[in-house]
Amino acid sequence: MTFTAARGASAVPRRPRPGTARRHALPYLLLAPALITFAVFKAYPILDSLRISFTTGTGSASHDAGWANYRRMLHDPLFWTALRNTGEILAVQVPLMLGLALLLALGINSALVRMRAVWRLGVFMPAVTGLVATGVMFSFLLNTDQGALNWVLHSIGLPKVDWLGQPFWARIAVVLVLTWHYTGYNAVIYLAGLQGIPRDLHEAAMVDGAGPLRRFWSVTLPSLRPILLFTVVLSTIGTLQLFDEPYVLTQGGPDNATLTVSMYLYQNAFHYFDFGYASAIAYGLTVLVVLLGAVQMRLMGERE
Amino acid sequence: MSESSPLSGGPARPALRHPSRRALLRGSSGAALALAAGAALSACGSSSGGGQGGDAATGKVTVWSWTTAATALRSVVPAFEKAHPDITVDVVDVGNPAIWDKITVGLASGGQGLADVLHIGCDYLPGYLEKFPGGLADLSALGADRYKGAFASGLWPVVSGKNGHVYAMPWEVNPLGFYYRKDLFDRAGIDPTAYRTWDDVIASAGRFRHANPGCYLIGIDKSATTAPDCDFLQSLMQLQGAFYFDLQGRVTLGSPQAVKALTVIKELNDAGLVGDASGDHGWSNLVKADKVAVSPLPAWAAHYLETEFPKQKGQWRLTRPPAVTPGGKRAAIVNSTHLAVAASSKRRRAAFAFVEFALTRPDSMNRMFRAGGVFPALTAAYSDPMYAQPDPYYGGQPVLRTFTGLLGEGADATNYSGDYARALKLASDAQVKMFLKGGDPATVLHSAAQQLAQQSGRRIA
Repeated sequence: MTFTAARGASAVPRRPRPGTARRHALPYLLLAPALITFAVFKAYPILDSLRISFTTGTGSASHDAGWANYRRMLHDPLFWTALRNTGEILAVQVPLMLGLALLLALGINSALVRMRAVWRLGVFMPAVTGLVATGVMFSFLLNTDQGALNWVLHSIGLPKVDWLGQPFWARIAVVLVLTWHYTGYNAVIYLAGLQGIPRDLHEAAMVDGAGPLRRFWSVTLPSLRPILLFTVVLSTIGTLQLFDEPYVLTQGGPDNATLTVSMYLYQNAFHYFDFGYASAIAYGLTVLVVLLGAVQMRLMGERE
Repeated sequence: MSESSPLSGGPARPALRHPSRRALLRGSSGAALALAAGAALSACGSSSGGGQGGDAATGKVTVWSWTTAATALRSVVPAFEKAHPDITVDVVDVGNPAIWDKITVGLASGGQGLADVLHIGCDYLPGYLEKFPGGLADLSALGADRYKGAFASGLWPVVSGKNGHVYAMPWEVNPLGFYYRKDLFDRAGIDPTAYRTWDDVIASAGRFRHANPGCYLIGIDKSATTAPDCDFLQSLMQLQGAFYFDLQGRVTLGSPQAVKALTVIKELNDAGLVGDASGDHGWSNLVKADKVAVSPLPAWAAHYLETEFPKQKGQWRLTRPPAVTPGGKRAAIVNSTHLAVAASSKRRRAAFAFVEFALTRPDSMNRMFRAGGVFPALTAAYSDPMYAQPDPYYGGQPVLRTFTGLLGEGADATNYSGDYARALKLASDAQVKMFLKGGDPATVLHSAAQQLAQQSGRRIA
């Protein structure tokens, strides 16, 4: 009420109309279930894990640890191994996947292709495949002795590859599975982007004598920039949180070659009962995700 | 790993792809603990350790166990209830690994909802004692100490807390055996009972391989594709009275004994005697294909080999494991399980009376062995004639006799500690480095020990 009075628009003090309070309360009442659920199941755990990240020990033996968990993280070789693995997978897998997705989208979008709906469905299918099914399927495909992939390699005269038993190949295997799983998802996003580019732009470029490649570089790609940014940021965040695929496929091995930050976090919490340290890793990861996201927005969004 | 023992019954044994599903087990129990710990912490230390129980000597005692062990325990209930008319016993088969979730959650919430008697493996017991002090009843106060000398040596320190009081009673014990394929060794003209040390085994590599091309001595999942495969490494340490931790809880993963153990594995591998048992059922597949001549597995494997590989009937034999160093011990206790009483129990005396009745009388112990295949820790039980019975699967050899003989020699205690899962992972990483990258045993183990100390806040011995 002081607010309206201060405006001084009218000398007559406004009497609160009947039912105002109830009318103000109503939206909050309607929002309450969602807000309470959010507070209990999201906000509270997030804040509480910040508190836990400054403690050590579990159960009845938990006590304050100050910054010890964060200091420990900086000096923990396994954490750095996990971070490096995650970074390497990110650097290889995301460009590969997004490049492939763009090619697929261009292909499906082409007027020359028939039965586009079928292709679109086919491309998107892996994204809806369950994680466990994916893991089981690929462990069959990648099996050293009986796997289909090695059978193919063998039949064209190439040596067998110990996909899950050798550090280098295990990483390739994870990249393979990730690419299989998420390329179609990104392709569908690109496809939507491509279809949103006005036809006249292409037609105008054609009139100006631009060939298909030129049109791609000068019309398609710039028009897709916001979509590209969206997928890059999303894939980066997704990869930084990578857990499921290496967990199902390699358990982080061999020799921690596919250990990711999330998996290390999980191990500390649920294998070693070290919730304090796991929470510290979670917050370390969060800071990293925010930083990387911001950098990408800067780099790619700037020239808008 | 107690969970791969017969106690874990159906689900765990077929998955003995060779070693353990411990990662999984830890995982699930941890998930439960996450919930429980969160609840306990947010309730501002409501979990004082659950010492609010009572010492009633009568009433209904509930027991949590799993599969065949539960069956075994049930077999002594009628006799117990007859001897103690004012106590009734209800044995619940909680299942494994579900039992770890339930116990962990119960301890984390201050003992709420726990059964009176809990069946706990040697790999979980120290963790419970460390992380939930006061969660299990002090059995010394109930008179458990008088049984100190009644069990196979090496078990009492496992059930004792840091204060020297006893928090569980030994039930099952699994001494290490050296199961070997007589046919394969005969072909090479080697008699494994003549082996004195593992170095003797390595020295005979050439003869063995020449007579059995394409055949290995043992199978290990070299790259730990499905889970850490450290059972053999652990056994070699345990034969030397060593482990990842000493009895004071200090880190000994880089000790000379640990280095010697990994060196033995490296030399076996360099001699072409270690087959790669990677992937699901990797080890079983190797054994099925007659490619593994030795299984360094504990007592429960006697029954396991028989049921898993029936076609190899009459070809397996059992002998004492070779020592790691000349003149060293040839007996090791690979794992054990125990019965504890929850501190929160309202009738701790009644609960202990049942534990005492079941675990300290040879009659009960052997009845349980027959009913559930649980190898007794109580030494007085071994005089029963069943231990001398010949087993046709092992060419008529009385395999149980070999194990009771080994337990008679006395084995050292193993401290799994509350950081066993972490130690197992780091030891496995070190072993994988040795296999895949030719890492030097001392180097990889020293750095693993350092990491273990850093991660667990323990000191290196």
